[in-house]
Amino acid sequence: MNIRQLTCRCLPLLLTLLFQAVSVAAQNRPVCLQCHESQTGRGGAVVKPWQGSVHAENGIGCQNCHGGDPNDPVNAMDPSRGFLGVPGETAIPSFCGRCHVGIRDEYLQSAHGRALGRGGPTCVTCHGSHDVKRATLSIINEKNCARCHAYAPAAELKNAMVQTEKRIETIDERLKVYKGEGVDTEAREKALFSTRNRYHRLFHEVDTAKVTGESAQIDAELDKIQQDFGRINAERQKRKIIGAGAVSGAFLAALFFHLLRKTYD
Amino acid sequence: MSFLKRIYRWIDVRIGAGELVEKELTGYLLPRNINVWYSMGSILLVIFTIQVATGILLLVYYVPDADKAFHSITFIMNNVPFGWLIRLCHAVGSNMMVLILFCHMLSVLFMGSYKSPRELNWLSGFTLFLLVLALSLTGYLLPWSQLSFWATTVATNSVGAIPYVGGFLVEFLRGGKLVGPATLGRFFALHVVLIPSTIAAVIGAHLFFLQRTGVSTPPFGLDDSKNRWQGEGYRYESHPGGIPFFPNYVLQDMTSIAVYFAFFLGVIFFAPHVFFPADAFVPANPFQTPDHIKPEWYFLANYQTLKIFPSEFLGLAVQGAVTAFLALLPFIDRGAEKHPLKRPLFMVCAVGGILLYLALMIWGHYS
Repeated sequence: MNIRQLTCRCLPLLLTLLFQAVSVAAQNRPVCLQCHESQTGRGGAVVKPWQGSVHAENGIGCQNCHGGDPNDPVNAMDPSRGFLGVPGETAIPSFCGRCHVGIRDEYLQSAHGRALGRGGPTCVTCHGSHDVKRATLSIINEKNCARCHAYAPAAELKNAMVQTEKRIETIDERLKVYKGEGVDTEAREKALFSTRNRYHRLFHEVDTAKVTGESAQIDAELDKIQQDFGRINAERQKRKIIGAGAVSGAFLAALFFHLLRKTYD
Repeated sequence: MSFLKRIYRWIDVRIGAGELVEKELTGYLLPRNINVWYSMGSILLVIFTIQVATGILLLVYYVPDADKAFHSITFIMNNVPFGWLIRLCHAVGSNMMVLILFCHMLSVLFMGSYKSPRELNWLSGFTLFLLVLALSLTGYLLPWSQLSFWATTVATNSVGAIPYVGGFLVEFLRGGKLVGPATLGRFFALHVVLIPSTIAAVIGAHLFFLQRTGVSTPPFGLDDSKNRWQGEGYRYESHPGGIPFFPNYVLQDMTSIAVYFAFFLGVIFFAPHVFFPADAFVPANPFQTPDHIKPEWYFLANYQTLKIFPSEFLGLAVQGAVTAFLALLPFIDRGAEKHPLKRPLFMVCAVGGILLYLALMIWGHYS
């Protein structure tokens, strides 16, 4: 082990220990963040992108992908605590595929997956590593695709999926509005998540006929969610009618008490 | 003799109910020029009762555990029959309680009703105001949403600016270095047991002082609006020839309460989200700080004051000085005149103070 390797391995540990000694203020934050935030260079560069990612938004922390113990500063990166570190290029699909199982399988069967290790793209080539955003059709664009091949076949596929993408985006926006108003959207979000995943699996397909067929089934799933929205709106309308009655009743009561008081005056 | 009259007579001969009704209701006379602002206290009593009732109902399903609190509130809002109504009544009611308290205190200020011998009425009322703010602050955390988590983080952080003991106080309030499950436990106990029972006791004291001093005469419509009490001895301010509390002023109270209900139900049914930003429905996430966390509207001026001073301690000190000044106002303002238009210095300070408070609130909202 040379000095550089030794430094690379020991520096995070030393920084972690130092951080623990000088600050206990952040005791409830994962030790991964406590240490990486204080680092400069590559180690520290991962924190901010992750904080803005779809993973952070959904509570997927460092340890969920890289393993290790986020509560133990000394042994956080100990392999015996499940620490996996950074995967090699060919291991990336199975690394991400622990959660994104279906997409991994689709990818591995696709032209992209078959070129794995031979210059083909991995998950992070298109989706990024820490700044992972919610996948949309916008990922299929000339800038991304033309890095490896002509854009035309990808554009044809994209056109076949545009309508479904729009519906998913509309439903997603509507769900966000409902969620911001206190509606329990968890089940519907899960349904949309599942449908969206099924749809995203098509991203890795190259068969336009299959994509069209699958899109019809996905549309049927989306119809169910939109029917739910109809029920929510009907319930809200009912509440407003009851509310109008209640407010009017209160005003009438106020008028009655006021006039009754006048009779005593 | 009807059956009901026989029951009444049976009770009356034992506890003197008739005499009590005569003394406290029909024979309890109020100033003839009494106005609608005197019914704010009754509205507040109704709000407090609703808060207690809806709070108890929420307790049936609410789970004060950091892992379950948010989901229990979501369950109440979406699955429990009328749970949404109960929760909205409680949450909107807390805002209304602060709003009506402001109205009540301002009316007391402008009508000079805090002046001697009513120092204890004012002090107990001011204590109630602070307790209601504490009740609102502790209740804010309980849904364990992003909003409640981060607003509590900001609010408890500011205590840290107190020299020497600030750090200890923050840790004491939070039950740890950061807002976490221990904070939820503490705030839950304070919100559900300690503060409401203290409020109930102080309300009792407030009403007792009112009972002993008598209702103050409004300064409006009188030739002489000066306070005549010189501290020579105990005096109950009676109002011979005044209007009876029952039925006359009770009907005024009922009118005000009904108008309040119309407004309150209007918010609940037509604008329920006016007090709920979207972050109020996202579970607390200690790893993700929302972009624009703002406290509730009634803490916005305090929040902005902390920001405009070069140090948080200075901001806290100014707020402490203003609070102490207001609490001790009856001991500072010893003038006999009660009519606001005959108190120019008071009017300048009061109107200036209200405008400054509103400006800080708006600034805090948009900053």
